[in-house]
Amino acid sequence: MSTLGRILLVEDDPKDVELTLTALEEYNLANEVVVAKDGQEALDYMYCKGTFAGRSGENPAVLLLDLKLPKIDGLEVLSRIKSDEKLKMIPVVVLTSSHEEKDMVASYRHGVNAYVVKPVDFHEFVNAIKELGVFWAVINQPPPGSVPKN
Amino acid sequence: MGTLARIRRYSLAVLSVAAALGASLWIKTAGMRSGEMPPFLFALALSAWFGGPGPAILALFLSCAVFDYFFIEPVHSFMMSRQEAPYLVVFASFAVLVTWFSNSRKRVEDDLREARERLELELAQRRRREEEIRSLNQELSKRSLALETSNKELEAFAYSVSHDLRAPLRHMSGFSELLQKNAAASLNDKGKRYLLMILESAKRMGNLIDDLLAFSRIGRAERRQTLVSLDQIVREAVTEVRTQAAGRDIAWTIGDLPSVYGDRSMLRLVLVNLVSNAVKFTRTRPNASVQIGCLEKRGDQAVVFVRDNGVGFDMRYIDKLFGVFQRLHGPEEFEGTGIGLATVQRIVHRHGGNVWAEGMVNEGATFYFSLAAVEGDGH
Repeated sequence: MSTLGRILLVEDDPKDVELTLTALEEYNLANEVVVAKDGQEALDYMYCKGTFAGRSGENPAVLLLDLKLPKIDGLEVLSRIKSDEKLKMIPVVVLTSSHEEKDMVASYRHGVNAYVVKPVDFHEFVNAIKELGVFWAVINQPPPGSVPKN
Repeated sequence: MGTLARIRRYSLAVLSVAAALGASLWIKTAGMRSGEMPPFLFALALSAWFGGPGPAILALFLSCAVFDYFFIEPVHSFMMSRQEAPYLVVFASFAVLVTWFSNSRKRVEDDLREARERLELELAQRRRREEEIRSLNQELSKRSLALETSNKELEAFAYSVSHDLRAPLRHMSGFSELLQKNAAASLNDKGKRYLLMILESAKRMGNLIDDLLAFSRIGRAERRQTLVSLDQIVREAVTEVRTQAAGRDIAWTIGDLPSVYGDRSMLRLVLVNLVSNAVKFTRTRPNASVQIGCLEKRGDQAVVFVRDNGVGFDMRYIDKLFGVFQRLHGPEEFEGTGIGLATVQRIVHRHGGNVWAEGMVNEGATFYFSLAAVEGDGH
């Protein structure tokens, strides 16, 4: 598949990262995935700082954001991105274990584009990741300034 | 009444008679005609009124003696002539009358005082009881607050545990599946079987967590009270369960059911649980039958039952039937997490009803629950 948007996966649990990447790989969606393992790294990526100082300036097509993160938590990352004029157009999808209504409400209040609860069942999990990947990295037209689909 | 008070009362009698004597002597020297008697009557009345019967009698005798001595011929002796006797009789009768009057007044007064004292006592008791009730109420509200807090903590704990348990579970089942998919060729039969067991266990734990979550949610959820037609939710429950039992021959008998006030989705869960249990435990029966109906109302309580001709249970284990994670069958016999009937009981209790069951091994089981039925319902 050649028309693939870049996915920034923000996830602290390496096992979840691996499972997510495996699920994406299964549908050839993993080539353009960048992983940030905490909220600080995610913001560093967005602002081209720290380890991501040298990256090319385009934005990812979508952020897959966990809520429970070390250093800076997911809601904080979300609110910083959505309150930044340059970044607020980037689609952000919260991908979390939390069914808690207050987490969901807070996410939507901060302007999240989608809220997905990670299914426990592996098949359902793979399906959810696949559909997210296909939709955001392939079907959806990302806002201007994103990594061009080549 | 103390000795001092008694001395005072008798002294009053003596003093008033003495005063009367003084007054009478003065009246006599002043030469007023027949003016000697009234001061003594006055003294007598005073003694009777303020002193009571004893002092009155004392005053009477003293007055008689003094009057006889000073005013009745022959004067300065206790003798008296015949024609003077009526004086004394009138005096004595008057004395008796006054004493009687003052005595009855005293009795009334005593009764009144007693009544007032009783009233005051009762008032004090009532005040004390009110105080007790208030302090009990305070204690109660304190405890219910503590209970509410600990309940909330417990629910929050159950919820967060359930969620934090989900992540490692997802990893276990995820990587096991990946292993099964990618390395199945290099595994022998034993290895494949082990992998299958890991997957089954992970799935079972997932179900347990889901059920535990659902169970804890019953405690947290706000109940939305509406008029619920049990007829309708039984039909829904049966339709839902039937799809799981496709291909089986089950004879359904569904009687008329009342309407109740309650939370529709919770009551639906009760019936889905009971009906799916009935379907599950009749699986081994060639001619399965499930009856759902309502017993005669007991007062305002409607008793709904779900009866099956399934494997039943031993009444000795009735205590365990409604416990959380309690099961009477092994997982290889009948699947399940052991939370269905606990959920049923919790919901019915929250609706102010009761749950009970009757059964016999291999003879089927009947589950009953009672709820307050709506008056004037057609059934």
